[in-house]
Amino acid sequence: MSAAVAPTPTYRRALLAPRRISAGLQHAYIWLWLVLFALPFVTTTLHSLRAPEGGLTLESYRYVFGSFKENLLLSVEVTVATIVLNLFIAIPAAYAIVRHPIPGKRFILSTLNLALYTPGAVMGISLAITYAFLFDIPRTFVGLLGAYVVGTYPLMLVPIIVALRDLPRVYEEAARTLGANRLTTFFRVELPLLGPGISAGILLTFVIVFNEFLVTLFIAGPNTTTAALRVYNLTRTGFLPSTAALAATMQFVSFIIVLVFFKTFGSRYLKGTYLI
Amino acid sequence: MARVRLVEVTKRYGQTVAVDRVSADIAEGEFVTLLGPSGCGKTTTLRMVAGLVEPTEGVILFDDQVVNAIPTHKRNVGLAFQSHALFPHLTVAKNIAFGLSVKRRPKAEIEQRVNELLAMIELEGYGDRMPAQLSGGQQQRVALARMLATDPRVLLFDEPLSALDRNLRDTLKYSILALQRRTKKTAIYVTHDQSEAFAISDRIFVMNKGRVEQAGTQLDIYLRPATEFVANFVGDNNALRGTVVEVHEDSNHRRATIRCGSLTVQAHAPGSIAPGDRVLAFVRPENIEVLQDGASADEPGLIEGAVEQVVFEGPAVRLLVDADGTPLKVTVSGVQRLTLLDAQRKRLRLRLREVSVVRDEAA
Repeated sequence: MSAAVAPTPTYRRALLAPRRISAGLQHAYIWLWLVLFALPFVTTTLHSLRAPEGGLTLESYRYVFGSFKENLLLSVEVTVATIVLNLFIAIPAAYAIVRHPIPGKRFILSTLNLALYTPGAVMGISLAITYAFLFDIPRTFVGLLGAYVVGTYPLMLVPIIVALRDLPRVYEEAARTLGANRLTTFFRVELPLLGPGISAGILLTFVIVFNEFLVTLFIAGPNTTTAALRVYNLTRTGFLPSTAALAATMQFVSFIIVLVFFKTFGSRYLKGTYLI
Repeated sequence: MARVRLVEVTKRYGQTVAVDRVSADIAEGEFVTLLGPSGCGKTTTLRMVAGLVEPTEGVILFDDQVVNAIPTHKRNVGLAFQSHALFPHLTVAKNIAFGLSVKRRPKAEIEQRVNELLAMIELEGYGDRMPAQLSGGQQQRVALARMLATDPRVLLFDEPLSALDRNLRDTLKYSILALQRRTKKTAIYVTHDQSEAFAISDRIFVMNKGRVEQAGTQLDIYLRPATEFVANFVGDNNALRGTVVEVHEDSNHRRATIRCGSLTVQAHAPGSIAPGDRVLAFVRPENIEVLQDGASADEPGLIEGAVEQVVFEGPAVRLLVDADGTPLKVTVSGVQRLTLLDAQRKRLRLRLREVSVVRDEAA
C-alpha cells in the first residue's frame, strides 16, 4: 500500500486576496477619518492665505505677529503658571488620597472632580460673581489663574493618583533602607517615577488651559485677553483672512508645543501608554 | 556587623497577631534563616528589624542599642527585596551609588566603591546600563551590590530569589552566602523554600502563625523536630500516633518505646516525654531501610508490610507500604531502588531509623 501523498498547497499573492482587500479597507478607513479631522485646520490655513484681490499672500500673518503676540504670550504665561500651581496642589493631594486611609475617599474624589463636569458657562458666571463680590479680582491675571486652576487641577490630580497607586512601595522602602529620609526619597526616587502621571497631567492641563475661552469670556478684561479669547472675539467681525491666520497660528503653536512635549518626555514617560 | 536581638517582639494589626512574642539572639556574623509558610510572620519580623514596621510590643537591639525608635534610614541595614527593587530610572552605577550619594560622600570615593562592587558581582562595564536591560540574575546581583555599598550593620533578605528560575536560585544562593561570609556581616534571610534555608543557614528559625516553632541547626530541625508543625513542614514525614510505653535512658541517649496501633517503634525522646504520654512519632521516608531477603528476622523493632504502590522517580523509588493497617511512605535511593521496581504486593521487612517524637497536642 502506498501512502497517500497530500498535494502541496500553492500560495499565490493574488491582488484581490481577501486578506489584501481587508487590509486595504482598514487603511482607507483610517485615512478617511484623518482627512476629515484635519480638514477644518487645512481650510482655515488656506483661507488665511487668501489675498483680498485673489491669489495667495502672507499679509495676514504679518498682522498676526504685530498684534497677536501679546495675547499669545499671556496665554503661555498663564498656562505655565496654572501647570505649576496644579502640580503644587495635586502631588500632595494625591499622596493624601492614595497613601492615607481617609473616610469617604470616593466622595472626596468625586467632589474634587466636580469642576470637570460643570459647563463652562456656569463656571464662568459663578467665578465672575465670586470674583466681583468676594475677592475683588475680576479682569486680572490672578483671576484668570484662579479660574484655570479651579477648572483643571482634577486633570492633574487624576493621572498622578493613578501613577502613585501603580508605584510599588518597594522603591520607597529600598531608598529608606539605603539611608534616604522621607524628603530625599520623594525627590530622588518617587517624583521621577511619577513622571508618567505628571507628564500626562501637564499635557492635559496645557491643552485645556491654552485653548480655553468660554470661562475666560466671563472673567477676562481688556488687559487679560488670552489668545483663544482673541480668536473668538475676532470672529464677530466676520471671517476675515486675518482671523483665519490668527486661528491657524494658535493651532500651530498648540501643535508645536505638544509635539515638543512628546519629543522631550514622550519616549521617557509616555511609552507604553495609549498616547504613544 | 552587629549582634541582633529580638526580645518578645509582637506585631498586631487590630485583632490579628502577625508576629507573636518572637525572641531571637543572633550572633555577630551569623547567618540565620526565618523559614515558614506564607503568612507565618517571617517577613513582618524582618521588616521590624529593618524599621519598616513598628513592633506593637517588644524590643529590638543591635548590639546593646535599642533600635525601636530609630527610623529605617538611620538604622544602616541592607535589605534585599523579593523583586530586586532597583530604581528603574537610574543606571546600574547610580543605583549602587544611591546610598553613598544620599550620605553625601565625595564623588571620587563613590566612584571607587561602585567600581569595586561591580567587580565583586562580576558586572564590570555594566555601570551605564539601565536595570531593565539586565537579566533577572544580574538585577538581583546589582541589588546585592547596592545593599552592600553603604557597609550596613545587618544584612536582611526578604525572599530575594523567589522570583528567579530554579537554576539561577541555586547559584545565587551560594553567591549570597559567599558574600555574607566574606563581609562577616550578620544576616537574616527570609524564605519559604527549605532547600534554600538548608543550603545557606547557620541556624534556621521555623515560624508558624507568628510564632517561632523551633530554632536550630539543619540537623536539629530535620532529625529532631520540636513540634508537629516542624515535622510536617520540613521535608516529608510519616506521622504515627501512639503512646509511650517505656523510656530508656543511658549516658547520652534517651530512647522511648512507642506503641502505635499494632506497631512498636523506637524513638529519640526529648526530656519532656514520659511513659504514658500520647505522642506523635515521625519517621522520614528516606530513613526507612528496606531489608534484603534473608536478613535475620528476629531483630526487635522490625516492621513488616505489603507494598501497595511503587513509583519510579529516577534517582529514587517511592513505595507506599501497608504495615498492618498503617500506611508508610518509604523512599529508596541508590542501586537498591532498582531491585524494588517489581515489589508491588510483595511483603517487605522495614527498619525504622531516626524516629523522632513530639507530644500529641490533639490528645
